[in-house]
Amino acid sequence: MRLLEKTNRIYLAFSLSLYIVTAIAFYGIIKWLIYEEVESRLLVEKRDFLVYVHHYTWKDNSYFVENKIEVEPGTQPKDFREHFKDTLIQDRYTKEWIPFRQLTFYTPIQQETKRVAIRKSLIQSYRLIEVITLTMATVLGLLLIGTFWFQDRLSGRLWQPFYETLARIKRFDLSSGKALHLEKPEIIEFRELNEVLQKMAEQLLHDYTTLKEFTENASHELQTPLALINAKVEQLIQSEQLTEDQTRWIQTIYDASRRMSRLNQGLLLLAKIENRQFTSPQEIDLSRELHEKFADMEELFTHKGIRIEQETASPFVVSLPAILADSLLGNLVSNALKHNMPGGYIRVESSADELLIRNSGPTLNNEPDVLFSRFKKEETGSDSAGLGLAIVKQICDSYGLAIRYTENKGEHTFRLARKEA
Amino acid sequence: MKMLVVEDEQELAESITSYLTREGYRCEMAATFREADEKLYLYEYDCVIVDLTLPGGDGLDLIETLKKRIASTGIIIISARNALEDKIRGLEVGSDDYLTKPFHLSELNARVKSLIRRRNFGGHNEIRFREIEVHPHAHKVFVGGQETVLSRKEYDLLLYFLSNLDVALTKASIAEHLWGDNIDSADSLDMVYSHIKNLRRKLVEKGSGDYIRSIYGIGYKFGPQ
Repeated sequence: MRLLEKTNRIYLAFSLSLYIVTAIAFYGIIKWLIYEEVESRLLVEKRDFLVYVHHYTWKDNSYFVENKIEVEPGTQPKDFREHFKDTLIQDRYTKEWIPFRQLTFYTPIQQETKRVAIRKSLIQSYRLIEVITLTMATVLGLLLIGTFWFQDRLSGRLWQPFYETLARIKRFDLSSGKALHLEKPEIIEFRELNEVLQKMAEQLLHDYTTLKEFTENASHELQTPLALINAKVEQLIQSEQLTEDQTRWIQTIYDASRRMSRLNQGLLLLAKIENRQFTSPQEIDLSRELHEKFADMEELFTHKGIRIEQETASPFVVSLPAILADSLLGNLVSNALKHNMPGGYIRVESSADELLIRNSGPTLNNEPDVLFSRFKKEETGSDSAGLGLAIVKQICDSYGLAIRYTENKGEHTFRLARKEA
Repeated sequence: MKMLVVEDEQELAESITSYLTREGYRCEMAATFREADEKLYLYEYDCVIVDLTLPGGDGLDLIETLKKRIASTGIIIISARNALEDKIRGLEVGSDDYLTKPFHLSELNARVKSLIRRRNFGGHNEIRFREIEVHPHAHKVFVGGQETVLSRKEYDLLLYFLSNLDVALTKASIAEHLWGDNIDSADSLDMVYSHIKNLRRKLVEKGSGDYIRSIYGIGYKFGPQ
C-alpha cells in the first residue's frame, strides 16, 4: 500500500466517523430544542386550561380544535405524575396518522376528577428537524468530500519530490559508473534525505570502483609471482642432474602453483560476475555452443569411453556475454565428465524453454544443496578448485537464469531455464 | 633474430630471456615504460614481448606507438589481466598474440616461433628435424619424404615438440597447449600419454628415429638421443 493511499484511508475513516457522530449529535440537539419548546407551550396551555375551568364551566365542545384537549373521567392512580409522551392520532379528514406531543394530568372539574390530555401537533416540528438535518448533512458531506479531495491533491504534491527521488534511485546502476543526481526540493526533510542519499551513492560508487581496481590489481599481483614460480620450475626441470626425490618435489611445487593460479582465476571470475563487470550480453544459442564444445573435446570423451547424445527439439537461446556462456557450459560439461564413469553417457536435451544436461555417475557424497557452494568438492584433495558450479550458479543468478540439480538412480540432471519474472 | 622483453618483474624477464636465448634469439630487456619506449625508438626488433601493466604506463600505448613506426614487428602480449576487453584491444592496436600469466615458457616459445614463421615467410616454410619435415601451410608431415597422416592434435603436439627441441616439457604444459587451460588435468594427462604414444608409433612406423623421451615424474623431451 502506498503512503498516500494509507493516509487517505485513515483520513477517510476518521472523518467519516466524525461526520456520522456530528450528524447524530446535531439531530439530537435540534430534537431536544424543539421538544423543549413544545413542552413549555403545553405547560402554558395547561395553566390557561386550569384558569379556564376554574372560572367557567367545561363542556365537551368548549374547545373547538380537534384533538387539542381530551377530558375523560377517571381516578388518579397512585404514584401518578404528570408527564409528556409522543402519540399518534388519526386525522379525521385525511385519515393520516399525525404525531402529537401530549401532556397528561388529573384535575378536579366541577367536583369530579378528570383525566386531562393536552396535545400539540409535531408535524411542523418534524418537518423542520428533517429539513435542518438534511441541509446540515449535505453541507457537512460536501465539506468532507472537499477536504478529502484537497488533502489528496496536496499530499500528492507534497510527496512528489520523494517519489522523484525514489524513481531516480531505482534507475541508479552501480556498474554503469554514473553518479546519482538528485534535486534539491524546498522541503527541508526531503532535501536532507536527498543529500544523505547522494552522499551514500557517491561513497558506494567510490567503494565499488576501488573494489574493481582491487580485483584487477589482486589478479595482477597474484598472477605475476605465479608466473615466476612456473617459469623457474620450467627452467629447473631442464637440469639433467635431478634426483628422483627432487623431481617429485618440483612436480609438487609445480602442481600447487598451477592449482593456485586456477583458484585465483576462478575467484576473480566470480568477483567480476558479482560486480557485473561483464557488459554487452548477446543472444546465444546454448545448445549449439554445447555441440561445438563436444566436438572440441571429442577425444576426451572417447578416451574415457563416454557416449554423447544430443537431442535438440528447439534451440535454447539466452542473453549472456559470450565469455560467460563459454564458462557456463565449460563448467557444466567438465562437471558431467568428471563425475561420470567408464562406459557412461552425457545426454543433452534442449527445448525453447530449458536445457537439460544428464550424465551417468555414482551417487553424490555431498548434499545436493551445497553443490553450488564454493569450495565444495566431491573428493577431498582432488585437483579441482571446487569453484566450477559456484561460477555456474553466479552466472545464472546474475543473468536471469535458474539452474536446478536432481538425481535419479545414478542419473544426474542439471536443468537450465529462464527465471520466471 | 632480435627480441625485446618488456616486463617489470625482473626475475620473470630473466627467465624468459634465458629460455629464448637458449633457442638462439638475441634478447634484450626493459623493465619500465620509459626504458621500453626508448629502446623501441632507438633499435629495431623482430619480435617484442610486452607486459601490459608496466611502471610508468600501459603496455597497449607502447604497442600503438611501435605499430605506427614499424608495422612489421611481431608483438606478443603477456598479461595477468585475463579480460576479454584487453585481448580485443590488444589485437586492435596490432598485437599478434595474447598470453595470460601464468604461462609456460615452452608455450611462449612456441608462440614466438609460430609468429616468426608467419611474419618472415607468410607461413610457406618447412620445419625440418633430421628426417622429419613439416609443411605448416599444408598441415602435412613427411618422414624421409614419405607422408605420414597425423590427427589434428598429434600434429599440434609434433609442432610443439619441434618448437621446443631438447627441452623438458611438463605434461601440464602439453595438455594446455593442446586443449587450452580449461581442461580438467587428471584426464588430460592420461590423454597426453596416449597421444604421445600414437605420435611416436606413427613416426617410427615411417622409419623415423625415436626422438621422444619420457622424463620420470615431469613430462617429455623431444630431441636427438
